[in-house]
Amino acid sequence: MAVIEIRDLWFSYEQDIILENINLTVEPLDFLAIIGPNGGGKSTLLKLMLGLLKPDRGTIRILGATPSKSLSSIGYVPQNTNVNTDFPIKVLEVVLMGHVGSRRPLFGYGKEEIACAMGALAQVGMQAYAQSKIGDLSGGQRQRVMIARALCAHPKILMLDEPTSSIDIKGQKEIYELLKQLNKSITVVVVSHDISVILEYANKAAHVNKRLAFHDISNKKETFHTHGNEEHFCEIELLQMLGAENCQSCTPTVTDNKPSEASTWKEKES
Amino acid sequence: MIEALHFTFIQHALIAGILVSLAAGIIGSLIVVNRMVFLAGGIAHASYGGIGMAVYFGMPIFFGASLFAVLAALLVANLTLHKRHRIDTFIGLIWAVGMAIGVVFIDLTPGYNVDLMSYLFGSILAVSTQDLDFMGGLLLLIILAVTFWYRHILAVSYDSEYAKLRGIPVRFFYTLILVLSALTVVIAIKVVGLVLVIAMLTIPVYIAEKLSNTLWHMMILSGLISALFTLAGLWFSYTYNLTSGASIILVSAASLGLFLLFCKGRS
Repeated sequence: MAVIEIRDLWFSYEQDIILENINLTVEPLDFLAIIGPNGGGKSTLLKLMLGLLKPDRGTIRILGATPSKSLSSIGYVPQNTNVNTDFPIKVLEVVLMGHVGSRRPLFGYGKEEIACAMGALAQVGMQAYAQSKIGDLSGGQRQRVMIARALCAHPKILMLDEPTSSIDIKGQKEIYELLKQLNKSITVVVVSHDISVILEYANKAAHVNKRLAFHDISNKKETFHTHGNEEHFCEIELLQMLGAENCQSCTPTVTDNKPSEASTWKEKES
Repeated sequence: MIEALHFTFIQHALIAGILVSLAAGIIGSLIVVNRMVFLAGGIAHASYGGIGMAVYFGMPIFFGASLFAVLAALLVANLTLHKRHRIDTFIGLIWAVGMAIGVVFIDLTPGYNVDLMSYLFGSILAVSTQDLDFMGGLLLLIILAVTFWYRHILAVSYDSEYAKLRGIPVRFFYTLILVLSALTVVIAIKVVGLVLVIAMLTIPVYIAEKLSNTLWHMMILSGLISALFTLAGLWFSYTYNLTSGASIILVSAASLGLFLLFCKGRS
């Protein structure tokens, strides 16, 4: 069964159409990168998958059920963890928030809940900071804590919105290495604009700019060596794969021999 | 000074000061971390409409003020959810209209007999036994609600979107915080008055925030700092025959200034 299945999805804010005829299938243990320009609808698509927004048309199935019914199997890491850093709250308390809503003692936190939260912190390598104030951490450390909070509920899918937008290069790499590790047992969906880094780790890519173009990039290393630098995966190369319509600057050379989904919706368009 | 403690009205003033300080510490912390200070200001001033109405109809003042404050809180909660981008305009409106209703009702009251100043600047020396019961009851209610729902309130305050995803009824808790704020504002009006209530809800909290690692530390510390300021303010007020509410606020503001200087000196 597909982990995420989106069929004929449309969404608009008042008069503006944000997402148009979106189709997307995410398989178990995929690492999906959702990329695209600012304002293209990436975060909106993520919010729809979380059930925070309702589609105008079309369906979203998470593990076979509606998003609001599958909330307990989704771990969500929101964008920009640099807001509200003055808030007097300890790292452990932030992680414990992942439990809220499930069974709980009358007052305070249960022993198992604390043990579980410490386990989640250990998974992201932050157990030493459990008693620190969240505002005293660096951006990268704070992002790890947010991932631990999402892991606290033992999710089957981890969804992250721009997880590295406020983190230095070294921190970014570490976050992606962590996600790669977690991807061994959890499906990962990442919304991001720093394409070059994320495509090193993702096996599927979806380019969202009102419409969605999808591509399997799991064998990117074998297919693309045009730059001679294996560590760097060029944006142009991806856009070429996705189809010329996503790229004004490059020549329309779709190197893939089987018809991609990009060309499928091109046909629907005309 | 000691002989003053034999007077019942002084005893009442001290008890009221401590009860209100503790409530203001807890609720003020929630108001500050939720960035609701302007909302609380609007609710405080709207409650003046209730004071005017209570005077006109001869009802207990606390009842009228609470009624208006809670209605304003519900209205604000509703507006925040539906008209978020225009919220500041609506708060300004509620703020002014509430005051205007109060002024008109007092105009209409035959034989002008209300000391308007006592509501604008507090009248802690005129606290009755019923007032104390009301304050004590409200403090108890606040402590129970915040203890029982601590983790929910924490989640909603820290990250309401995430709280929603974890199945917490965010609207309920947001409204609860506003209603408790409204009621706290009403009892604080008795101590420092309408005009100064926001300072009481924010100055001790600001100091406590810098010194706390968790929300509940901040709440308790704010309450204690607030009680200290209130008692010191009352002492000044008694000794130099000054308005009590203004004395409390000036003591708080001066302490805040010293605290900030101390922080700067250390860093």
